[in-house]
Formats: sequence, C-alpha cells, structure tokens
Amino acid sequence: MSNTTLPNKFVVGLWDHEEVYLHAIEHIRHKGIEIYDSLTPFPVHGLEDALGLKETRLHTAGFFFGATGTTLALSFMTWVMTTNYPIDFGGKPYWPVPSFIPITFEMTVLFAAWGMTLTYLVRNKLWPGRVPRIYDKRTTDDRFALVFNAEKLTDAQIAEVKSLCQTEGAVEVKDKVFAEGEGL
Amino acid sequence: MGTHHTATPNLNEKFEFTGSLRKVLFGMMGAGLLGLVLVFFLYPENHHGRFWSNVLTNVYYFTGISLFGLFAVAAAQLAYGGWNTLVKRILISLGSFAMIGGFLLLIILVTGLLGWHNLYEHVEHIMHDHDNEKYTNKHIFFNTKFWVLRLVVYALLWAALSYTFDKFFGEKDQTDVKVYKQSKLLAAAFIVVFAVTESFVSWDMVMSLDPHWYSTLFGWYNFASYGCAAWAMTILLVIYLKSKGYLEVVNENHIHDLGKFLFGFSIFWTYLWFSQFMLQWYGNIPEDTNFWVKRFNTGYFKFTIFLALIINFLFPLLFLIKRGAKRNFKMIGFGAALLIVGHYIDFFNYTFFEPVVCEAPKADEHHGGEHHSANSANTVLYAEAHTDAKGHEGAATDAPAHAAPAAHGEEAHGGGHAPHGELIHCATIGIGEILVFVGFLGLFLYMFFTRLSKRNLIIEKDPYLGENIRLNVTWS
Repeated sequence: MSNTTLPNKFVVGLWDHEEVYLHAIEHIRHKGIEIYDSLTPFPVHGLEDALGLKETRLHTAGFFFGATGTTLALSFMTWVMTTNYPIDFGGKPYWPVPSFIPITFEMTVLFAAWGMTLTYLVRNKLWPGRVPRIYDKRTTDDRFALVFNAEKLTDAQIAEVKSLCQTEGAVEVKDKVFAEGEGL
Repeated sequence: MGTHHTATPNLNEKFEFTGSLRKVLFGMMGAGLLGLVLVFFLYPENHHGRFWSNVLTNVYYFTGISLFGLFAVAAAQLAYGGWNTLVKRILISLGSFAMIGGFLLLIILVTGLLGWHNLYEHVEHIMHDHDNEKYTNKHIFFNTKFWVLRLVVYALLWAALSYTFDKFFGEKDQTDVKVYKQSKLLAAAFIVVFAVTESFVSWDMVMSLDPHWYSTLFGWYNFASYGCAAWAMTILLVIYLKSKGYLEVVNENHIHDLGKFLFGFSIFWTYLWFSQFMLQWYGNIPEDTNFWVKRFNTGYFKFTIFLALIINFLFPLLFLIKRGAKRNFKMIGFGAALLIVGHYIDFFNYTFFEPVVCEAPKADEHHGGEHHSANSANTVLYAEAHTDAKGHEGAATDAPAHAAPAAHGEEAHGGGHAPHGELIHCATIGIGEILVFVGFLGLFLYMFFTRLSKRNLIIEKDPYLGENIRLNVTWS
C-alpha cells in the first residue's frame, strides 16, 4: 500500500466523555458529514451502531480458512492411508475416517486461528516496523477523537465541521497535517 | 445500548395464563394420552416395551431440560453473569417440570423392578448372574434398594431445589447484598447436586438399558443434550412471549446471546458424541462396540443416528454460525425448534433400542416374552461384534459365559454377515411417538406457564437488571 493514497490533512475533534461523544457522532452523521476515523481509549458500547459500520468480514474469512484446514487434513491423511503408505492398524479399515477427525479438527482450528490473526494484523496494518499515524496522543489516555478528512472538504465546510464539533461538546478541535509520506 | 432504550420500559408485567392457551395445552396432553394408549395396544411386544420407552424418553428428556434451566441460572449467578437477567424467570420456570420429573422416573424404575415392563431386565440378569465376575461392581451399583433409594434422593432434591429457586429469586430482594450472597450459596449447592445427580440419573435410567455397555462421559453427553434442548426451548418461549406482547425489553441482542449458547452447546454435544463414539470404535472392545454394531445393523437406527448428527451438528454448524441467523427471530426460532426435535431423536437412539429391539430372534421364538430370549439376543450381537472386529481373535473370550445354546446356533447360522434380519425390532418414530412427545411437551409447558404466571415476568430487584436491559452484542 503506498502512502500517496492516504490523505494528509485532517480536522480532529476531541471529546472527554463517551456518552457525549456517542451523541455527537449520531448528530454529525445525521448532518451528512462523513467521519474518516474514530479513536477511543477503550471499547465504547454502541460505537459501531453510531458510526454505522458494516459487519466485519473477518469471521467469513475465518470460516474459509477453517474449511481449508479441514480439506487439507482430510485429503492428506486420505492420500497417505490409502495411496502413499497403507498400513493395517489394529484391524481398522485402510481409510479409518473416525480416527482422522481429531487431527482434522485441530487443523481446522489451527488454520482458522492463524488465518484470522494474520488477516486481522495485515488489514489493520499492524506489522513490525510500521510507523503509525497519530492524530492525538491522548486518544490512548482519556480523549475520544473524531477524525475528518479535510482534503475532501471546502474551507467553508471545514469551518462548519469545527463549529459543529464545538456545539456537540468537543473539548478541543484542531487541524492535523501529516507530511507527505509520514506514517502509514 | 443506552441510546435505544431511552423510554422507561415496562418491567412490571405478569404473564396471563389464558383459557385458550390452557385449552391448547390440554389438547396436547390429550393427544399424548391418545398416543400412549395407541402405543400400548398396538405394540404389546416385549411387555409393552415401546410404551415404556416412550414414557422414559419423554420424562427423561423434559426433566433434563427442566434441570438445565435451573443450572443456567445457577451458573450465571456464580459467574457474576448479568446477561440472563431478563429471561431468568423463564429459565427458572423451565425448572417447574423438575418438581415431578424425578418422581416420574422413580415410577418408571419401580414398575420395571416390579416386573411390569422389561426396560431394566438386562440389569436384573446381571444381578442374578453371580457366576460372572465381570459384573461384580455392577452388582453393588444396581442393588435394587440402592438404585431405588438414589432415585428417591434425586426426586426429592430436584423438587426441593426447583421450589427453592422459584421462591428465592421470585420473592427476595436480590439487590440486597446479603440476599445476593445467599443466592450464590444456593446456586453453588444446586451445581453440586446437579452435577452428581445428572450423571447418576443418566447411568441409572438410560445407560442401564444396556448394562453391558458403558460410556464414561455419558453424564456429560446427556448434559450437553439437555443444554441444547433447554436453550432452544428458552429461545422459543421468549419468541412466543414477545409475540404475545410481553417482554418488551427483550430484543435481538438477548436472543443473540441465547443463540450463541445454543450454537456452542451444539458443538459441545458433537464433541462428546464423537469422543464417545471414536474411543469405542477405536478400542473395539466387544462390550462397547456391541452397542454400535446393534444399532448400525438395524437400518432404522443407522438412519436416526445419522439424522441426529445432521440435525444436531451439521445444521447448527452451517446455519446458526451466522450472526444474522441468531438475531433473526424467525431463523433462530426455526433452528431452536429443529434442535428440540433433533435431541429427541438423539435420545431415541439410546432409549428405544434395547426395550423394543431385543426381542427373541426368530430361531428362538419358543421362548416368547421370557427374559432369557432377550438375553440370548444380546449374546448373538456379541458374536456379531467379534466377527466384525477384524484381527481381534481374543475378543471372543469376552462373550458372556451363560450364552444360550440358541445363541450359538445363531452365530453359526448368521456367520456375521446377515443375521440381523432375525431380530424383531419395531421401534420407529411413528405417529405414537410424535403424539406422546407432543403430550409431554404440553405437560411441560403447562407446568412452565403455571409457574411463570405466578409472578412478574421480569425479576425487577436484580442487581444486573440495568446492565441487561442495555445489552448490546457487537461484532468487534
């Protein structure tokens, strides 16, 4: 992913109470203003609904990762036990499906877990060495931030967003400009 | 979620047990009686074995659902759980059947021991077979007095605890810290009693139908079945009550939580089903495999075993896994109803085989309904188990020493390939079974609604009430 696709100019509103913050989000979205990002120090109940986020597709990916593990385990063991190296184990059939199930289960879990974890990390750009974009350091402490993409807004709209944040109880509204290529 | 419930919800409501609902439930019970009569007279084989299997299966099933309702409350109470506060009265009311369930099981056992039916005849054989060293310990466990005494103890404990739960959570002010601490004691006491009695009753009433077979996780297995059925029942009842205009504050978030439990317990059930099956398949000990060989060689049971697996495992795995399915009342309602049927079929696999199938083989007809006929049928199946187990020559020595001559004849004749046609088995899920199930469901629901209508639908004085009203199940 190249940095040039990311906007560099933002308006950041900071709140200090999650209830006020949630109501502010609802009102701001009601006015048709697009919210670029939302940062909170802890998970806020109802935030997904307020932001109108779509359901994550991570678990769908997880299902397919799991199904891959199931298929791989079953087909590999079938190949080994029937074609590659058939052995008579205690009078069991050469294709003893019930004894494959525990391993199949483990492989399903392993694939689903690793697949989902890696997908999550990649999608959220959480790989080592990444320099994150920090809109405000206090979002990990006691501030709830709303980020607006200033590049998409005209000057008049920026002023409107700022005043709207203020009326909705933001304790601070500021511009945030990243240098070209700064952070990811 | 705070923003959605700004208006004060109506918490002070009581369920009205209307006359029309009573009529429907009495109609269901009438259908059940009709079913019992039908089954009793249409299938007199083996001392009306099918009739008693019907009674046992349904009493056992609904007692389990009932006890699990109380268990769900107790477990959440101990774990500081607030998620079930709005449906707590429903879970406690499920427990109303436990007031009589234990006594009904006791009646089934005592009538069996008195010789009214053949459900526990195999155990009695063991009791009288003093030559057989192998069953020495089972002698102690299935000592008639001890056996009946156990059932009496379960029945009394369940009735007492069910009554106490209703009283305690219905009348006491849970927001009082002292009372809240008492509720933890009560819940802990219930969990201990439930853990022991639930395991024991599964051995006493169901596993003893085939006393040669044992499964060390049978208690757990039954617990998982109860769990699925009880969550399914709770979901259906919540949906019913909401459709009647009650439980305004219960929304898709609460159903979603119940649905997750339903899904989770279905997977848990499968885990136990498979653990039980695979170890016995792999171990290949005739005592254990006999149980499965008998069933897989009986076409109908092979069908119901796989049907139960499909309904109770594949269906929830593929259908209930989606968030949307658990939050949609119609979809989760359908799933819950199907799972209740699925777990009935699962119990059917355990309870309907021995009492009905272990008829005399045709070659042995002159023995008629006598006890020995059933025993020899068992022995035949042992022989089959050996022949099926390739490379296990030594297993043959495990055959019971008292094998009847007729059984040996069978073995020689059948040769392990097609001796199964000789077994008379008349157990299927027919109209009689359906009617009896509906009847017991009617009785169960009658007791449920009776208890539910006694008090407010929602326990208002619960420390977790506010938390549960604001419940919001997110996907992140």
